[in-house]
Amino acid sequence: MKFSFSSRHIINYSLLAVIFLSGCDTSETALLTEKSIIYCSEGSPESFNPQTVTSGTTIDATAYQLYNRLLSFDSQDNSLIPELAKSWHITRDGTKVTFYLRKDVQFHDTDYFTPTRVLNADDVIFSFERILEQDHPYHEVSGGRYPFFNNNNFASIVERIEKINDFTIRFHLTGPNKGFLSSLATDYAVILSAEYADQLALQSSEQNIDIYPIGTGPFKFQEYRAGSFIRYYRHQDYWQSPALIQQLLFDITPNNTGRLTKLLASECDIVAYPIAHQTIDQHPALSLDQVTAYNVAYFGFNTQKPPFDNKLVRQAVAYAINKDAIMDAVYYGQAERAKSLLPPSAWDYEQSVNQIDYSIAKAQELLAEAGIEPGSLTIDIWAMPVQRAYNPDAVTMAKLIQADLQNIGINSNIVSYEWATFLKRLSNGEHQSVLIGWTADYADPDNFFTPLLSCSSARTGTNRALWCNDEFDQLLADALATSSSEQRRAYYQQAIELIAQEVPLVPIAHSKRFQARSSSVQGLVLDPFGGIDFTKVTKN
Amino acid sequence: MLLFFVRRLSLFLFTMLLLTWFAFSLAHLFPGDPLINLTGQVNANPEQLIALGQQYHTEDHMIFQYFSYLEHIISGDLGLSMASQLPIASELANLLPATIELSIVALAIAMITGVPIGFVAAIYHKRKVDDVILTFSMIGYSIPIFWLGLLAVLIFSIELGWLPSAGQLSLIYEIDHVTGFLIIDILLSDNTYKWQAFADATAHIILPACVVALAPATIFIRLARTTMLEILETSYIKAAKAKGLSFRQIIYRHAVRNAMIQVVRHVGLQFASLMTLAMVTEVIFSWPGIGRWLIDSIYQRDYTAIQNGLLVLSIFIFIVHIITDLTYAGLNPLARERSYGS
Amino acid sequence: MARDKIYQEEEFPSPIQQLWQSFRETPVVMVGFCCFVFLVALALFSPIITPYSSIENHLDSLLVPPAWDDKGNVSFLLGTDNLGRDMLSRLIHGASLTFGSSFIVVIISLFLGVIIGSLAALTKGLKSSFLNHFLDVVLSIPSLLFAIVIVAILGPGLENTLFAITVVLIPQFVHVTRNAISEEFDKDYVLASRLDGASKYRILIYSIFPNIIDKIIRQATLAQSAAILDIAALGFLGLGAPIPLPEWGAMLANGIDLFYIAPWTVYLPGLAILFSVIATNLVGEGMRHAVRARKEYQ
Repeated sequence: MKFSFSSRHIINYSLLAVIFLSGCDTSETALLTEKSIIYCSEGSPESFNPQTVTSGTTIDATAYQLYNRLLSFDSQDNSLIPELAKSWHITRDGTKVTFYLRKDVQFHDTDYFTPTRVLNADDVIFSFERILEQDHPYHEVSGGRYPFFNNNNFASIVERIEKINDFTIRFHLTGPNKGFLSSLATDYAVILSAEYADQLALQSSEQNIDIYPIGTGPFKFQEYRAGSFIRYYRHQDYWQSPALIQQLLFDITPNNTGRLTKLLASECDIVAYPIAHQTIDQHPALSLDQVTAYNVAYFGFNTQKPPFDNKLVRQAVAYAINKDAIMDAVYYGQAERAKSLLPPSAWDYEQSVNQIDYSIAKAQELLAEAGIEPGSLTIDIWAMPVQRAYNPDAVTMAKLIQADLQNIGINSNIVSYEWATFLKRLSNGEHQSVLIGWTADYADPDNFFTPLLSCSSARTGTNRALWCNDEFDQLLADALATSSSEQRRAYYQQAIELIAQEVPLVPIAHSKRFQARSSSVQGLVLDPFGGIDFTKVTKN
Repeated sequence: MLLFFVRRLSLFLFTMLLLTWFAFSLAHLFPGDPLINLTGQVNANPEQLIALGQQYHTEDHMIFQYFSYLEHIISGDLGLSMASQLPIASELANLLPATIELSIVALAIAMITGVPIGFVAAIYHKRKVDDVILTFSMIGYSIPIFWLGLLAVLIFSIELGWLPSAGQLSLIYEIDHVTGFLIIDILLSDNTYKWQAFADATAHIILPACVVALAPATIFIRLARTTMLEILETSYIKAAKAKGLSFRQIIYRHAVRNAMIQVVRHVGLQFASLMTLAMVTEVIFSWPGIGRWLIDSIYQRDYTAIQNGLLVLSIFIFIVHIITDLTYAGLNPLARERSYGS
Repeated sequence: MARDKIYQEEEFPSPIQQLWQSFRETPVVMVGFCCFVFLVALALFSPIITPYSSIENHLDSLLVPPAWDDKGNVSFLLGTDNLGRDMLSRLIHGASLTFGSSFIVVIISLFLGVIIGSLAALTKGLKSSFLNHFLDVVLSIPSLLFAIVIVAILGPGLENTLFAITVVLIPQFVHVTRNAISEEFDKDYVLASRLDGASKYRILIYSIFPNIIDKIIRQATLAQSAAILDIAALGFLGLGAPIPLPEWGAMLANGIDLFYIAPWTVYLPGLAILFSVIATNLVGEGMRHAVRARKEYQ
């Protein structure tokens, strides 16, 4: 340590004190630091139950840490592999799916709940019936919204769930469905504890189920301070090999520079959505991870409210946006320009689509056709306040779009709230237009169209355009029902063309997901569908 | 002294009345239903709202509404935060101590550095040292604090890596909330890593406290300098000189003591501006204090939090003000004579 | 002070003349004063002298460093930000937003404060006591905090910020004016004109104001430096000027995200604020000296 650095005596003295005190037990401190990982995340979770949300921030913080699902995706080829269900069986007509559960799965043992039994069929049934049954005692707890399941019309897919024995359950489906198994492997289909729910019901404090969570995941909940941090401890009796670290901390740092500063000052081990990639790359003690993500950033119009209930205005705005400028100024060239909702690296659908190219003249023409005088229209652009993989800086993007719109005589205000508030207001449809995006939950085009633009998603709020088009919904339904991949492709092609015509939203970019960490952290797995796995992380 | 005390007490009551009335009227000035603004019950159903309305006498005259509000405040019910739906009283109980802690440390730094430097400047009046000190204090007084904070982080946390850049304590230490004052809580805790946590907390507070302290320190410099200059001109110092006391004795025995009384008088006023500086600094250093919380509440239009947060903050500032006033009066009998209205 | 004057009739320079005299005697203050005048000129003529529009995006030159850097470009003397906006133009435009509006704010609150202060000085008894208590309470609240309160009520925005700061500064002027007037009222020359039968208001306007004007101007410089810092602080906290406006504090906040890749977007607005506050404070310092010199002179 250096002593001759400051003229301020007080610093010297305090530092001396620090050095003296920290000198007592340096080896122990080192141990504690090594056993803990601090992950600087970009926002507060909305809830501790992934069933009730769609935001990636919440998924990152909860889904993989606290819970398990029946199935999961293989990280290499995205095929389905067993998780809590050790195997499963589908009848030939595709309407009955039977799951055989593992018998060694322990729930978290915490200050507020001590499990007396291992995971069994009751827990699985509780977890899904909470979503499916309107009159289930827990259905309305935390607002009664299950956006992912509502978007997929889960309630109409599953007829009932049957308990065969303590470790065997059977889902009776209304018909064969291609997406059903995949949806059970997504981050949202987590398994909760029925025993805990019963205990809470006795204390009539049902709302605690999503505030003080109990799951089977590798980490258990210890403490959460809203807007500040989440503290998780290792789940000692985890059914797979327990996590290598003892403590996992989510340091909630919405400020981009704040996160990078903490990383540079070694106050964070891992940072979500880093900015200034160059600085990190050049830094000797830091490294930058990236993974191809199935995502899209888009500019969505609230089609239920003027002026964007008018298709001509939507088209005009779409023509006015200079996407190339956005690629440079927001993504620094590290993203693909979007031609449709689907990332071209995953599916090659868009070749024949009539693209909307940047054209101010065309935009002005359309505005005139819509009968809007230049300068007479003022709109709100909602820009999300956090970084996501698909959009590292929505506010800057909003500023660029603001300038673009100025060119065609539309004035605009940029609106932003704290993330949780932003999402809440957005779901209520308070916006006129919004810059946001979507990360797929599994590798299927349907997971772009259905959650973003279907009528059911317009009701649940993930359809930010609040756009409901029967022709479009029919195309999606046909695509899911057909077994020919050729046929399916044709349906989706039509869906893309319909979007390009109606412009409920303007797709902007597909980007990789980045994560920065100090080089001493090893073994981190980023998931292409969002979520982070901390079980194999070590630090030296 | 008693009269002085009574006069201050009346001022205190007058101010409390003014402040609570102000906070109460805010609920009506803010957009939305005043009842919801007061209570923060955004998710309440109509029946609950009716019950709340009865509690707060919304049907009655404004005065009754005000008194029922006052009743709630005094019983410690500050409503719920509209954004997080947590009770504001408990949020403040967590946040206010952090801000106080930062302010007190900063105040200590400002006084310990500012006052002696000011004395030195006065002793070397009209010489190089005085000029240099005055120039620096002028620059220190002019620097925008948020910019200073950023530069401090860049230099001390990132380039040199000496001090942490954000927060109150590294998250790896788990300290139970007892008093809300982190340093005290650490000392009270039975954590195995207690002393490391203490060292870590000390390291965390240095940078923000120094940033907050800079501007008040320059004010203390000026104050101490002016007071000392005045005192050196007084007849009792001249008398002491005539008695043959050495310069050192004069300074230590007479001048410093009398100058300190004047400085104490300004601590109250300084504390208020210090709290404001601390609020801005909290944003930069992610300090979990009331300033960051209040500014977030303004962004989120969390009216209940704004209104009651401000109320508690200003009451606190005013109490400090009164306490220093009384201390000063205790130290300096001359101050008790001042009165208004003549 | 000893004065060697031959003639009995000496001509006293007016307080403003004395002020100018004392300014010219101290070079540092003179420099500060020149900078101050320069800033006023910048604020007035900013639309004419900026090389580019402050909100024009040059998408082919994003994040260009200042011209003295190797990668710099002379056409953007102080570089550009992440949207390719010219920093120099933005800083000049910002001068009228931050410095210029603080100037206007101070003048308005000076005007109102002096009127209220004069009326207060002429009242006595219970009203005066109430006013004093009220002033005590208001003055004990720091200006920035008070401004935050008002912005919290009105909602964020530049107009609201300016209004808030105007309101916040008024009590200081009331206080200074009232004290200065009460002090002057006890003096002999006032007594003289009173004996001549002049009314209170006449004394106030013709006898007292010319004698307290330097104190008020001094308070104005203090208020100005506080106003600059407060406007910038509110802009920095995102409660002031909206996003595209190049208010210095807001520019700085905008630059924070670029701190590690384009540090000039943080350094330059900060320096601009520092420069203008120092210039203002130097003028204030000169004013303080002048006031004290005049006191000693009497």
